[in-house]
Formats: sequence, C-alpha cells, structure tokens
Amino acid sequence: MLIELKDIIKNYDNGGVITKVLRGVSLSVDEGEFVAIMGPSGSGKSTLMHTIGFLDKPTSGTYLFDGEDTSSFNDDELARIRNERIGFVFQSFNLLPRTSVLDNVILPLLYNTSKANQESRAKLALESVGLGERIHFMSNQISGGQKQRVAIARALVCDPKVIFADEPTGNLDSKSGATVMNILERLNKDGRTIILVTHDRGVALHANRIVTISDGQIVSDVLVPESERIHSKEIKEDE
Amino acid sequence: MYNIYFKQAIRGIKSNPSRTLLTTLGIMIGIGTVILVLSAGEGFKSYVNAQVEVYGSNTMFVETSVPASTKARSNGASESGNVNSSANNAVPVTTLKVRDLEDFKNIPNVKNSYGVSVGQQIVTYSGISKTALIFGSSAARFDIDKGVIEMGRGYGIEEEKSLSQVAVLGSKIATDLFGDETPIGKLIRLGNYNFEVIGVYESKGSFGPMSEDDQIFIPVSTLQKKIQGIDYLFYAVVELRDKSKADATKLDIIDVLRKNHYISDPARDDFKVNTQEESLSVFNTILKAITFLLIAIASISLMVGGVGVMNIMYVVVTERIGEIGLKKALGARRRDILYEFLIEAVLLTIIGGVIGIIGGSFLAFVVAKFAQSTGLAWKFIVPIWGVVIAVSVSMIIGVVFGVFPARNAARLDPIVALNKE
Repeated sequence: MLIELKDIIKNYDNGGVITKVLRGVSLSVDEGEFVAIMGPSGSGKSTLMHTIGFLDKPTSGTYLFDGEDTSSFNDDELARIRNERIGFVFQSFNLLPRTSVLDNVILPLLYNTSKANQESRAKLALESVGLGERIHFMSNQISGGQKQRVAIARALVCDPKVIFADEPTGNLDSKSGATVMNILERLNKDGRTIILVTHDRGVALHANRIVTISDGQIVSDVLVPESERIHSKEIKEDE
Repeated sequence: MYNIYFKQAIRGIKSNPSRTLLTTLGIMIGIGTVILVLSAGEGFKSYVNAQVEVYGSNTMFVETSVPASTKARSNGASESGNVNSSANNAVPVTTLKVRDLEDFKNIPNVKNSYGVSVGQQIVTYSGISKTALIFGSSAARFDIDKGVIEMGRGYGIEEEKSLSQVAVLGSKIATDLFGDETPIGKLIRLGNYNFEVIGVYESKGSFGPMSEDDQIFIPVSTLQKKIQGIDYLFYAVVELRDKSKADATKLDIIDVLRKNHYISDPARDDFKVNTQEESLSVFNTILKAITFLLIAIASISLMVGGVGVMNIMYVVVTERIGEIGLKKALGARRRDILYEFLIEAVLLTIIGGVIGIIGGSFLAFVVAKFAQSTGLAWKFIVPIWGVVIAVSVSMIIGVVFGVFPARNAARLDPIVALNKE
C-alpha cells in the first residue's frame, strides 16, 4: 500500500472557533491507481489532498506513506518527501514569473539531493509533455495549456511516485484541458500513481476510482467501470 | 550548491531594480561617507607628510621650550615673589645658540644642521609693501631642506659669515612683490636694509599663516645681528645619516644641550627634541579622533540604511509569499528559503556598499582635485583597507537586518503560503 490514512482528523482553529474540516478519514491508495477525489466546495477535498501531499499536517490520525509512519517526521524530512516522492500540479499553474520554462522545471531539482544533469533532466521532462521546443520561453509567454504542461513537467522532474493534481483543468479551455488529462492518463499508464481533486465529473471519470467526500467524511468510494471511463485523445503540439 | 541561492536572490533583486536602488540609498550614503572620510583623511595625511618632507625625511627638530619646573613654579602662584607669571611664555628662551649646532656635528649620526631665527618685517619693493615672516637660517638649510629653488640660488657659508644682505623668496611673496618681473638681482627693503634677491623657491603647496610660500629666507647671522640684535636661535633642524638610529641620536643631542646649557635636572630642560615620528604622531592622533567621530556619524546612516533594507525585505517576503509556498511544496527546506532571502538582503547591502564606495571615492577625488587646484600637495588615496571594511560592514548589515525577514519567510507554513496566492 502506497498511501494509508487511518482516522485522519483536521481541525482549524480560527481564534477559538474550531472548524472541523476532516472528521475521521480513512483511505488507502495502492501504487499505480488513478484516484479522483470529488466533492462540493467546502467539503474538505482540498484539505484532504494537502494532507496526503504533506503540505498540511493532520490534527490526529496516522498516515503511512510507502509503509512509513510519517507523523513523527520533521519539517526537513517532509520537505524531502515532497521533493522526491511527490509532484504537485495546481489549478493556477504557480509558475515562477520572469523565469524561463526550463528554469521553472529545474526549480525542484535545486532542492533535490542529486544535483547532477539538472538541465538534461528538465529537458527530458519537458519533452515528455510535448514542450521540448519551448524551453527558453519565459513563463508568461506561453498559453494556459502550455503553462499547465510545464507544471506537469515540473511535477515529474524528480521522478516521484505520486502526482497530486488539484483541479488541473479548472483554469483551462476544453481542448487544453483534454491535453492535460491525456498526459495524466499516460503517466498513470506508465505506472505512476495519480491523485486528482476535482468537482467536475467529466474530469473525474478519467480515473479508475472515485472517492467522494462531503462534510469532511468519505461518503462513497467506487471503482469506475472501464465502460464508463473517459479517455482524452492525444492532441498534437498546439500552435 | 550556494549558487542556487544566489540565482534565486539575484532574480528577486532584478524583479524591481528601482526599488533596489532606493532601498540601498541609506547604505550608499553611509558607506560613501565612510569612504570619503577615510580617503580625505589619507589625503590630508599625505599633505601633512609632504609638508614634513620639505624639511627632509631624515631630520629632527630642536626647539626651545620653557622648562617644566619654571612652569610649575608659576602655576604654584606666589612661591617666589619676583616671578612674573605671564613672562614664562612671553619671554623667549634664549639659550639655543649656533655653538650648540657646532657641537651636534661631533655626534656620529648627525650629518648636518641649521639654526633658524624668525622675525616679522615689512618688506617693500617699488611701492608695494607687505608684512612677511623673515626666516634667518644657516646656509646648510639649502643642503637639508627639500624645497626646490626655481630661480637663482641659495646663499653660501661665506655670505652667512659676512652678514650679506641677500634673500631667497617664497613663490607667493615673489609673485606678490614682483608680478611678472624677474626678481633675481632686484633690491627689496627689509626694515632699514636693502636685500638683494638671489633666489626664488618653487611653490611648496602649503597654506595658512605659516605657509612657506609667503616667507623670506635670509642668512641667520644677518637677521640676528643687523635686524634683531639677538644671538639665540628659535629652533634648529638636524639632518641624520641613519634615520633608524634617530632615538639614540636624540639622546646624544639632549646630552650636548644639557652640557652646554648647564642643566642637570631634566625638569629644567629648556629645549625639546622631536623626531619626525614624534611630530607626526600628535597630528595622527588628532586625525584619528576626527576620523572616528565622522565614521560614528556615518554609521548612523548605515543603521538607518540597514533598517530600510529590513523593511523592504519584510515587504518582499509578503509579496512573494505564494512563491515561498510553491518552493516549499516543491521540496525547499526552511534553510533553503532562509538562505535565499538572507543572500538577497546581503546582495542588496553589498550593491549599496559598492555604489557607496564608488560615490565616496568620486567625492574624495573631487576634494583632492580641489585641494590640488589651490596648490596643496594633496594626494587622492582610497585606502584598500577602507574598501575592505566598507564591503564587510555592508555584508554584516545585510545579515543582521536580513535575518529576521528571512526567518519569517522560512517559517511560513507551505499551505498557508500557497493559499495566499
């Protein structure tokens, strides 16, 4: 089991007012799965993803990642897990401004323990998302779809086990969105675990399993029959 | 490894160049002032050294001095009824004679010496009158003194012995009296006597009431016997063979003077012997005090500049909060973020420091050029150690004032930072 959550509770304390965001979530994800986490806004799906992605610490509960109990990990150890084993893709891309596409993809490698061949590793990641030709563009000179593909390349460059994608198509038109989903599917086919947060059923159906969360609790956890799964077609380099 | 931090820090600085310049203004002014003060101090020192060099670098001064014991007695009020308290400083000490100089020549390390008597006279040439300091000095002056006679010549021992009425003029007084006329061979009037101008000094680049460019030099015997009616000297300059033995020679000179002046108690010494180091050390002490004072004032500007940098770093941390969150999400540790911001703060202060060094040096250069244009022997010097100190101080300020904002950035919770975007 790659990810094992047991009774995860997350409370936010806003000046004495305690908001219960996650109320005892237990979830297991195996290596190679493509899981979509669905739910209305405020349901706690983003908090769940942040907790699984080590961006946020649970108030209580145990989290085993790749068999290791992570509750005792310090900040540096968590940073290392985020760097080496997890890749993030955000809704708003979060590329560094005034920085080339290549340097954006190199960024996680700067914090990686292995500093060798940064440029060639970044180029390889960019080629795998079809952006091998645009490495010297500035991050503000490319389209939204291309930005998200740069973000995926950045998530891939340290060769992580899991990729977390938080509404990856939320800011994209349908064509660019399809390209991004196609890339995620391909990555999953190559054996990478994908955890996708979305409120869009059409996006969620790319996954092989849909976990629905409401009011901080998992209300359903179903496998998607192959017949219902949506597969985006590969779209060639959009000019 | 550290070039990552530099890359990120430089990217941050480049993102707002005009703000960078404004931020570092305080540092620029502070460092600029430090460099200006240090450089002007060195320039002034070079000027003073040049003035001392005029006397020759391996010389020693013998001055008359009111004995300490006499002073003590006068300060002690009416111990002795006939002591006129005001007289101690007003009445010159009359014991330094040409005979003492003759005896100095028996000291092995003494190469040469000359005695000086000083008087003030009205000097007249074809209707132009000026009050000038008249320096009567032995002919040996022209061998020891490093001043260059531009026109004509100095006087010789024979002219000194025969009480010749010959004069060598400082460059400025020569111009004042003669204008474009050639002064050599002309007669000037000093008191009741006519003197033939036989030489004119090149400008020595000094200023003030004691400027040698304003003085007239005549044989000491002529001044003493024909004008002043005295037989004592005001001071003497002794030239040494070996500068390194100055301290031992000083003791020899003191011995000769005590013997000649019948002094057994050092408290009754009626003279002072100063090596060049000693004459300069007083000046250097004063210069150091002034320099420290000015640098203390400049460091206030550095403090203000440091606070300015701290202020802007807090702003920068807030501005880039989303970026910090992203970097943390991508695996940056606390110390990565800390170093990035700390290096950015240090780069800011170093940029300010470097601009300050350039600006301060430029101002110091202007000061030096101005001083040189008024005829002073003032050198433009930017001391390397001053530059090293300035750069180190800027770095330290960057670290001291950058560490708090950088720590704030490093401690940000990644998810809090990401959500701010």
